[in-house]
Amino acid sequence: MSVATRSIAETFVTIVGREGVRADDEARAAAAVDGQPPRWVVCPVSIDQLSRVVALAHDEGLAVVPRGGGHALELGNPPTRVDVVADLSSLVRVVEYNPDDLTITVEAGISAGALAALLAPHRQFLPLDPPGLISRTLGGVTATNASGPLRARYGTMRDLLLGVRFVQADGVVTWGGSKVVKSVSGYDVPKLMVGALGTLGVLGELTLRLHPRPDVEGSWLVLLPSTQAAQGLVERIADSPLQPNRIEFFNDRALESLPVETAVAGVAVSIGSVVEAVREQGERLVTMAKAAGARTVPLPDEFWSVADRALTAERHESALQVAVVAGRLADTERAITEAVRTAAPGAQVRISGCAAVGTFRVLVGGASVAEAAAMVTRVRAWATELGGSVVVASGPAELRKAVDPWGPIDPGPFALMRALRDEFDPKRVLNPGRYVGGL
Amino acid sequence: MPLSGTFLADLERIVGADGLVCSPEGRLVYECDMHTFYKGAPDAVALPTRADQVVAIVNLCRREHVPIVPRGSGTGLIGGAMAPVGGVMVGTNRMDGILEIDLPNRCATVQPGLINLSLTRAVSSHGYFFAPDPSSQMVSSIGGNVATNAGGPHCLKYGITTNHVLGLELVTGAGVLVRLGGKAAEHPGYDLVGVAVGSEGTFGIVTAVTVRLLHAAEAVKTILASFTAIEDASEAVSAIIAAGIVPAALEMLDEMMIRAINEGTGAGYPKDAAAVLLIELDGPGAEVEAQAERAARICWERGALEVRVARDDTERALLWKGRKEAAGAVGRLAPTYLLQDAVVPRSKLPAIMRELIAIGARYRVQIANVFHAGDGNLHPLILYDDREPDELERAKAANEELLRACIAMGGTVTGEHGVGMDKAKNLPFQYADADLNFMYRLRRAFDPDAIMNPGKLLPSHPACGEGFRPSRPRVPDGAWI
Repeated sequence: MSVATRSIAETFVTIVGREGVRADDEARAAAAVDGQPPRWVVCPVSIDQLSRVVALAHDEGLAVVPRGGGHALELGNPPTRVDVVADLSSLVRVVEYNPDDLTITVEAGISAGALAALLAPHRQFLPLDPPGLISRTLGGVTATNASGPLRARYGTMRDLLLGVRFVQADGVVTWGGSKVVKSVSGYDVPKLMVGALGTLGVLGELTLRLHPRPDVEGSWLVLLPSTQAAQGLVERIADSPLQPNRIEFFNDRALESLPVETAVAGVAVSIGSVVEAVREQGERLVTMAKAAGARTVPLPDEFWSVADRALTAERHESALQVAVVAGRLADTERAITEAVRTAAPGAQVRISGCAAVGTFRVLVGGASVAEAAAMVTRVRAWATELGGSVVVASGPAELRKAVDPWGPIDPGPFALMRALRDEFDPKRVLNPGRYVGGL
Repeated sequence: MPLSGTFLADLERIVGADGLVCSPEGRLVYECDMHTFYKGAPDAVALPTRADQVVAIVNLCRREHVPIVPRGSGTGLIGGAMAPVGGVMVGTNRMDGILEIDLPNRCATVQPGLINLSLTRAVSSHGYFFAPDPSSQMVSSIGGNVATNAGGPHCLKYGITTNHVLGLELVTGAGVLVRLGGKAAEHPGYDLVGVAVGSEGTFGIVTAVTVRLLHAAEAVKTILASFTAIEDASEAVSAIIAAGIVPAALEMLDEMMIRAINEGTGAGYPKDAAAVLLIELDGPGAEVEAQAERAARICWERGALEVRVARDDTERALLWKGRKEAAGAVGRLAPTYLLQDAVVPRSKLPAIMRELIAIGARYRVQIANVFHAGDGNLHPLILYDDREPDELERAKAANEELLRACIAMGGTVTGEHGVGMDKAKNLPFQYADADLNFMYRLRRAFDPDAIMNPGKLLPSHPACGEGFRPSRPRVPDGAWI
């Protein structure tokens, strides 16, 4: 170990204490990103410490990969450099919770499960349910703009993040947004931070808009003979006064991995409201399904957490995030199935997604890297034509080297993105190379 | 700085003679928005009809270092669509078409000059609507709504403009036409749409907007509850929210406003009421019924004088009538007013109302209130008579003190109107140098030559262009050499 290296390590110790710095092989291996172990794993316990850690890395020309729950480390390109993994899992302070205002300010390392437990006694919740939610950190969910079935009604982190404190690449602590549910003073900086993968700043503290939990929630599964029929049903629901919390599509393979009857396609609907309205809307849903020649079965409340676990990507599966327009469910499913048939005939795909919005999660198993890459390319060609996108959300580094995990970005917007990245992190301290277009 | 003949000839070549306003009387029309305090006529007004003309205008201005001010209907309340340093104003009024209504994908693409309400009118027969509903929606343009990230009474439930914009076509300050976002639900990369909405024309000029359309609710119910004390009304607001009800709108009027409205429009609010709450619920029929009953009960429990439930659309319109005419009604109390738009956390409403009364007394100004209680967005109207010496000065001082009080309670300077010239100086109440510096740099990425709407949204400062130099954290020294 060179003198310089040793003194950098000692400086980290000065900032976060000896227990906050790990440089042993075991810790480094555990924190490896796409097989690249960092030189140090640094665990700040405050935003002030985080700021000093990033400032030091900046001055020393080190690359920092922020890490929350470690769920999304396979998102994006393999990083070009990994010197420091900033483990944010100790930033778990609840700064301010105002149940009467339906807002909360928390440090970014708090897990969604811990937050839910905190809010439950007040019958409030953060309506976000991306895969594996319970153990994900809110900072991670924000940086990756991850979402799940609830986006059908509540949108994504984009619609829920009111304010954000972050550490810029040079260590400057910066605040954007506000702590109230409505503000237009200055640029909407929180929007810029959602989905930016920490490349414009490491997220330290979040102010979130909460929602009241509905009195009761009812869930139903409609079993359909074809994806076309599923699309028809989704359109009728969207065109009706029903106000579902979730309208989630499942293909046959996805249904098979759930403790429910199987069919060619399924649409699970949940409705949250006062008890009378849930009953009445449930009846309307059943009638609508019957008119479409489909059968409806009631689902137990725990269906959604069971489905979340069952549809977690297995070790041999890669996960794709497909986003298209709202009204092309059947075509999307067909495009994916055909891409598999042509490019990866032996593969199995489990498709689920927010049918009324046009976002799908595709789990691909039993495909070689070359096959999966070819499949991504085909689905992407189709999605791009609709103005949509295909992102490789998880999978082996080889796959994400064989095919651009983000897909193409039009030159106009990309020039602006690069200008922002160059402005705020010219030395590429934060997550170098991982973001779109290798930014 | 008057524009040269060559410049004006170039401009005319781009937009045509009928798209150029150069006469002093013609330009005078454009000297201010609805905040008539801030005046500044542009040196020329260009009224393009196509995006390529906008590109050409921006590039011409860029070459000649002439500032550009975009303008929609000019109904803003912040000193935004006016030209403090002259230059070219680009009016989007002639770009007012609906480019596409795509009901299967529940969205529409429109030109920026389209009037907000025209879009809802175009889709309402299919059961859809465009959610952002600023009070100006009969006259304000969607491009203007995007620029200011406009809200409205119903944004408590439905969110503000940004929650409904899927894509933008934008001519940046660098003169480049870019398409950001689009109909699809997600786009990899930075959320440029999200940060461009609300940028008040400082990033460029929007030439097309793709917006989400929502399905109209099945049932609507409007309740009017009056109280003898504003604290009771504020508590009712908190209790309604705590009961898990998210009304579509939750508006409050204070005593002075009630009096002004009763004298003006004859909305018939109870005479001895110190506060009136307007509660609107919408959604599936059974839900609205149950929640309306619950909300009414809460109001009675908090000592309401009276609770009226509108039985039909006519009665509903009547209950809203007073609220909609509030700003006009205060004209009976004083010739003019300063309008505020600060927000406090909802739970701080009783506290800020007390503070507001104290500030009014301290500066000897009358303050009338009509506001979005559901999200804590105040609209105090600080009344003054500009014929009286020092009355304006006292009104301004009261305004600033009130703003600071809102910020001290954890609030924000502006909830839905925007910053413009009016509140740029107030942003430092809320943001530190590092935060503002981030915003200056953000602006530069879109407008490298700083020609777009100068003087708006961010405070000006001595080291123009470079921004503040925020202090960096001190790295412990002596550890490495």
